[in-house]
Amino acid sequence: MTEYQNIFNRVQIRGETYPGIALPAGDDDRFGKGFFAYWVGKVANAQVGPIYLGGWGVASALCFGIAAAVVGFNFLAQVGWDWIQFVRQFFWLGLEPPLPIYGLHLPPLAEGGWWLITGFFLTASILCWWVRVYTRARALGLGTHVAWAFAAAIFFYLSLGLFRPLLMGNWGEAVPFGMFPHLDWTAAISIRYGNFYYNPFHALSIAFLYGSAVLFAMHGGTLLAVSRYGGDRELEQIVDRGTGVERAMLLWRWQLGFNATIESFHRWGYWFAVLTVLTAALGILLTGTVVDNWYLWAVKHSFVPSYPPVFHVIDPALTSGVAQ
Amino acid sequence: MAMLSFEKKYRVRGGTLVGGDLFDFWVGPFYVGFFGVTTVFFTLLGVALIVLAASHGPTWNPWEISIAPPDLSYGLGFAPLNEGGFWQFITICAIGAFVSWALRQVEISRKLGIGLHVPFAFSFAILAFVTLVVIRPVLMGAWGYGFPYGIFSHLDWVSNVGYQFLHFHYNPAHMIAISFFFTNALALAMHGGLILSASNPGKGEVVKAAEHEDTFFRDVVGYSSGALAIHRIGLFLAISAAFWSAVCIVISGPFWTRGWPEWWGWWLNLPVWR
Amino acid sequence: MKLGFSAIIGLTAIAGAVFVATTFTTPPIDSVQRGYRGTGMIQSYQDRAYTRLVAANQAPEVLPAVDLEGKKASVEYKNLTVLGDLDKAEFDRLMMAMTNWVSPDAGCNYCHNPEDMASDELYTKVVARRMLEMVGTINTKFKAHVANTGVTCYTCHRGQPVPSYVWYTDTNISHASGYAPIPSGQNRAAAAVAYTALPYDVFTPFLKDATDLRVISSQALPQTDTGARKSIMQAEWTYGLMTHISDGLGVNCTYCHNTRSFTDWNQSSPQRVVAWNAIRHVRELNNTVLDPLAKILPASRLGPAGDAPKINCTTCHQGTFKPLLGVSQLKDYPELATPLSIKK
Repeated sequence: MTEYQNIFNRVQIRGETYPGIALPAGDDDRFGKGFFAYWVGKVANAQVGPIYLGGWGVASALCFGIAAAVVGFNFLAQVGWDWIQFVRQFFWLGLEPPLPIYGLHLPPLAEGGWWLITGFFLTASILCWWVRVYTRARALGLGTHVAWAFAAAIFFYLSLGLFRPLLMGNWGEAVPFGMFPHLDWTAAISIRYGNFYYNPFHALSIAFLYGSAVLFAMHGGTLLAVSRYGGDRELEQIVDRGTGVERAMLLWRWQLGFNATIESFHRWGYWFAVLTVLTAALGILLTGTVVDNWYLWAVKHSFVPSYPPVFHVIDPALTSGVAQ
Repeated sequence: MAMLSFEKKYRVRGGTLVGGDLFDFWVGPFYVGFFGVTTVFFTLLGVALIVLAASHGPTWNPWEISIAPPDLSYGLGFAPLNEGGFWQFITICAIGAFVSWALRQVEISRKLGIGLHVPFAFSFAILAFVTLVVIRPVLMGAWGYGFPYGIFSHLDWVSNVGYQFLHFHYNPAHMIAISFFFTNALALAMHGGLILSASNPGKGEVVKAAEHEDTFFRDVVGYSSGALAIHRIGLFLAISAAFWSAVCIVISGPFWTRGWPEWWGWWLNLPVWR
Repeated sequence: MKLGFSAIIGLTAIAGAVFVATTFTTPPIDSVQRGYRGTGMIQSYQDRAYTRLVAANQAPEVLPAVDLEGKKASVEYKNLTVLGDLDKAEFDRLMMAMTNWVSPDAGCNYCHNPEDMASDELYTKVVARRMLEMVGTINTKFKAHVANTGVTCYTCHRGQPVPSYVWYTDTNISHASGYAPIPSGQNRAAAAVAYTALPYDVFTPFLKDATDLRVISSQALPQTDTGARKSIMQAEWTYGLMTHISDGLGVNCTYCHNTRSFTDWNQSSPQRVVAWNAIRHVRELNNTVLDPLAKILPASRLGPAGDAPKINCTTCHQGTFKPLLGVSQLKDYPELATPLSIKK
């Protein structure tokens, strides 16, 4: 099949860079004029920039820089200031939260204090960025849907690093900074709390995560399939339905028996993605606070499958008379 | 007739791969086609086998029903029905139904005169399933390596297969796949949110245009992909997530049997800093 | 040299192929299914790697059996405090075997002064006595772990004076000062915990001290006694020891556990009970036999904290589910299956 599939752009137009919709006077803090990047233009818009600076954006970048520097210097210190080992062991290095014995008190810098400082600045950075996303939408006369989706993700982030530690009474339950260390934490919380696969909110979150992949594959594929009819011009097609989205709707109606519209599909996608993090946050907040062992909770609520027994083993601690 | 207001003019003959005009019709809103018939056949047969197999099991609780593959000792042969044979036939029906669905998508796409991107994308999901229940078991020499069909029992399999490698998070292809899944969710939230924010701008505002879309993301992150490209990107992220998931499980066992953390030894032992 | 687009793609593909070929392994795979079908409780080994493992873990050649001389070794030799009751022929044979098992290069002189074989002047001879006592203890008192297979010197030493797999207390020295973080005991690439970033000295708390390994709650709802609650960090320590056990035995977690509920003994294999006993045996040996050797061993044999070498799972198992693949040397050296204690 030698048909053009509309994956790469065959022609790139060059003119002046587009400076953006005019902002209200006094709000125009855009930096640069933007430039064209040829290889980016092979797939998407070639124009990179301009970017809006703004007080909230700059504050966010500064806070993030501080957080990253604290983490980076902690990593370096842990390998004895050896740059070679820093690179070699980078994925393994981590900045741990305070030990549980400190509860919610402020620990010494060297024993979790740096983790708290990093968390504080990272959170500040994220919250400043949220304000940026919200205000940029308002300044352009757009709805604030993107900001509220971001808020759901922030809620999950805060659940992991702030709300749940508060509910559990100690910072030690929070996630360490570090590539492999945060994965160790993920495995450990599932081990400690009786297998997260039996946490119904974990199951819902995964269903929404995988569902988001299904939906974006469907949506991306559908719109590329009808791009020859201008289906990718979604905003126009929302207010003035054309043959592009008519065919898109029928593609799914004829398969499934029902279909969305070009606007409502974006609600499906938006909610699947947002519910991924909202249900995940719920699953985290309930762990350890309300449920201590998800497998046993599942046994109580009758959804654990049974297998014919193969082994017949008893706890040796019960028969040996030893305490543990 | 369950037709949308504009639908009639699109209901034309043609586009079929197999069968010509024989099955080229609709039942209500559903297009049939040869592959609609095969889909229904495999689905009914598969579901009937599931129900039959479940009736031999200990429960009708839908969360607890589990249909298990054969013991490893049967190798790549057929097992007795109650010793994994049901699982084998259900797997054949599942693959038949999924492939039929994809080919039906092709027929519908051809009839509508649109591209084949949707069945192309769906093929990757089918690839992931076939990797789990056919490719990996064949590479390892037994159907028993497949996962059981059960809502929670398949998760027990996932847990145990993960721990077969001590700490599955360290599987590099698993890391890539997860990154694609999370990035896909992020991109879907951003794209969905952007379209909704432009078409539902709030009280007193007019519906916005493509220039507003681009300006919003250029202001916030310095770059906007544009309306066409975000769909390429989303398709790529979603397909990549499925692809790398298939890769991460096919290498686990056939191409690596030790713990996944140990695989990273190649990095730790690079001559430059050993 | 300017490379065209296709050349770059081609070179990347070749580099990728080389990378994949050198970092991964290939079929065929040998597997053992242990749980119910479909649960995924399977041990898998790459065929060629397993063949190499088997070759590296063969029991050594058995010395020919000897005719008994009819008199005790203590009649012929002086200063025998452990093996005096053996027949002299058996005694000589055992000494030959021990030399092959522990010091084949240095020979008898590794422990003995050739001018005065009875002399205890070499520390190695004194240590060897404690080792013999230990072997006797293991083979008689620790049957819940070693069954009738038992151990000999070879099980750990494998032809070397110092076993390949021993451990010392980690001094956890911090290289930085001031406000730099004190070592957390984790987040390094450590072979001890199979190259995860988990806590790396899992031996001191669990194989020397008797720190509780159990971290998972035995009830669905939270306990009211908040003091007894275990943390995620503690789970990481237990997980770290578990990776060591897996690595040491060349098995994965499903060898003992159905991971859907790690804590549930009903769903665990009998090997988990063996491991439970093994952990306690290793603790006892580290505390009663190995650590006290620090007083006898020279500084060159001690760790950075001045402690004696200690044992863990890998010391005997060396990557096999049973040391020497379950072959018992005791049938050829039955004297080692008796209580061997130092008589004062």
